[in-house]
Amino acid sequence: MLGRKKLPSFITENVTSDLIRLENLVKIYDTGAIKVLGLKKINLTIKRGEFVAIMGHSGSGKSTLMNILGCLDRPTLGHYYLDGIDTEGLSSDELSAVRNLKIGFVFQSFNLISRTSAQKNVELPMTYARIPKKHRSARALELLDCVGLSARASHMPNELSGGQRQRVAIARALANEPPLILADEPTGNLDTAASIEIMEIFSELHEAGATVVVVTHEENIAAFTKRIIRFSDGQIISDEINPTPTERSGVVHTKGLYKNKNAGEEGTACC
Amino acid sequence: MLLMENMRMAFHAIRANKMRSFLTMLGIVIGIGSVISIVSIGDTMRGLFSDLYKDVGLTQAYVSIGYWVDDIRMSDYFTMEDLEDIKAAFGDEIAYIDSDMQTSSEVQAGRTKMSFNFQGIDYLYQEVQPVNVIYGRYLNEGDILGRKKNVVMEARSAERLFGTEDAVGRTFRTTIYGYTDEYTVVGVYKKEMNAFQALFMGGSSDKGSAFIPWTILTWPNDNFYYCHLFAAEGTDMTDFMNRLLLYIGKKKGRSASDFFTQTAVEQMGSVDSVMGALSTAVGGIAAISLLVGGIGIMNIMLVSVTERTREIGIRKALGARTRDVLIQFLTESAILSAFGGIIGVVLAVGLVTAGGLALGLPVVIKPGVILLAVSFSALVGIFFGIYPASKAAKADPIDALRYE
Repeated sequence: MLGRKKLPSFITENVTSDLIRLENLVKIYDTGAIKVLGLKKINLTIKRGEFVAIMGHSGSGKSTLMNILGCLDRPTLGHYYLDGIDTEGLSSDELSAVRNLKIGFVFQSFNLISRTSAQKNVELPMTYARIPKKHRSARALELLDCVGLSARASHMPNELSGGQRQRVAIARALANEPPLILADEPTGNLDTAASIEIMEIFSELHEAGATVVVVTHEENIAAFTKRIIRFSDGQIISDEINPTPTERSGVVHTKGLYKNKNAGEEGTACC
Repeated sequence: MLLMENMRMAFHAIRANKMRSFLTMLGIVIGIGSVISIVSIGDTMRGLFSDLYKDVGLTQAYVSIGYWVDDIRMSDYFTMEDLEDIKAAFGDEIAYIDSDMQTSSEVQAGRTKMSFNFQGIDYLYQEVQPVNVIYGRYLNEGDILGRKKNVVMEARSAERLFGTEDAVGRTFRTTIYGYTDEYTVVGVYKKEMNAFQALFMGGSSDKGSAFIPWTILTWPNDNFYYCHLFAAEGTDMTDFMNRLLLYIGKKKGRSASDFFTQTAVEQMGSVDSVMGALSTAVGGIAAISLLVGGIGIMNIMLVSVTERTREIGIRKALGARTRDVLIQFLTESAILSAFGGIIGVVLAVGLVTAGGLALGLPVVIKPGVILLAVSFSALVGIFFGIYPASKAAKADPIDALRYE
């Protein structure tokens, strides 16, 4: 029957401590008339549990890197290892499975599916992971509760504020407990208060053991992270530890969203 | 597991655009509706005709000298002896035989006058064309052989002539073949007919009708044009008619091909072929309307896919595989189309049933036809959904996510 196909077998618990490893990564955009070098030989390693900001102006290559890290795009040359998997040579359906189980996306424009309830949006990655409906809805409600939206489970995206939408998106990103949370300008469409709220959720996820990569061009957003990688012209120009990450105010209580099963740490779970 | 989810999503999408979905379905609604209507009307007509011919008698036949024969002789007509001989020659194969004589005349009972149609019958007629005798008795062998002036009258005619249905023993005067006589009602019968039967079997309400002994109508010259008979039930009419014509031809000193025959079976065959031709024609029209409806669905699905490019991108980013997206949109177009089919079926069944009720006819709607129509409309949806769905499935997630 349709939809009963087993998921690819490469998705297994991995052994290395590197979650992301980029080796000599090159991306060339071929527009026909001219070739544009998007990324120039990037070498980068992000370890499990890191909280990283990728910064740069538009056109710096940070979005290109984001697409490749998210397995939405493929590098022209070089290797991208995610959770021990060499993504080169994976078919588009296999990449879908990698995105489904290994990556939780948070987008600038939220990208919730319209006219679909918050709960159904959160269930979506689990649907594609073939998780039975009963478990899906229980887990979705639990995640929404964790981001403080249990009362809004049946609301449509257009009935939610920007901050609430982004929290639904975070709940959705966590649905399959992916090792990597990838956030592309997550506060770009939010006011300051909501931005701080969202970043504090990421901080908390990081404390619970998640690997969080945030792409941003705002210094005060990057200030929440512990490592800041700056991009310019398709190259890494600096890669520094942030000695004084912004402290959590403690206003947000997400009651523990994330169980880092890979590191075996005790996640403060509400589950 | 995903199938249910897909169906739920499809209903969701259809409900989100009610008007557009309805207009899209309209082609399928009309196509399936007309198929169901015409098939049901055809089946109903066929059922009515077969009932009618069952009533008329499937083994009923007429034989006469051909109208194309130039040198018609007196001996080409039938006599009572001929009929007796034919009956003797074929024995049990013939259930009933008479001369099919009828006459119309003015009838007077007391001060009431009305026109009557008298059908001359043998007493065995009750066995091949049963009627419900509600008062008195049917004509018997003695009435026939004795040429008794007794009649069995139809109930409504009796009511009009005598003011009561129970007219047994009442008398009236009428003139048949120039002889004015007094006739006695020995029985009253009722025949239930639906509108269709009444139409075809001449239930003209302004004229009374009654059975009289056929011997009255053939007398005094005893020559008649038709030999009218019912073969025994289950007879192979083609073979029987061939043998009958050979026998009659030999008896009359003519070729069998000089005689004209007419059987109920032949007529029913012609009704069937007319129905068949009608069904084919309407089937063709319905096929075209389904094609147009299918193209409408393809068109709207293409619009839907374009509108939802971003949604497709999100789904792909969250882990939907090519096939997941393909099946999602195929399910949607199949459900859209099947939904149209179901509406078409409901409309057609309603229309045909209402028509049947209005005309007082028993309507035949076969469940198999309905099932077939709905499955076929779903297939139309899948077929015309393939192109839009594969377009959606092939979308690149980055481009789709960027789509505004």
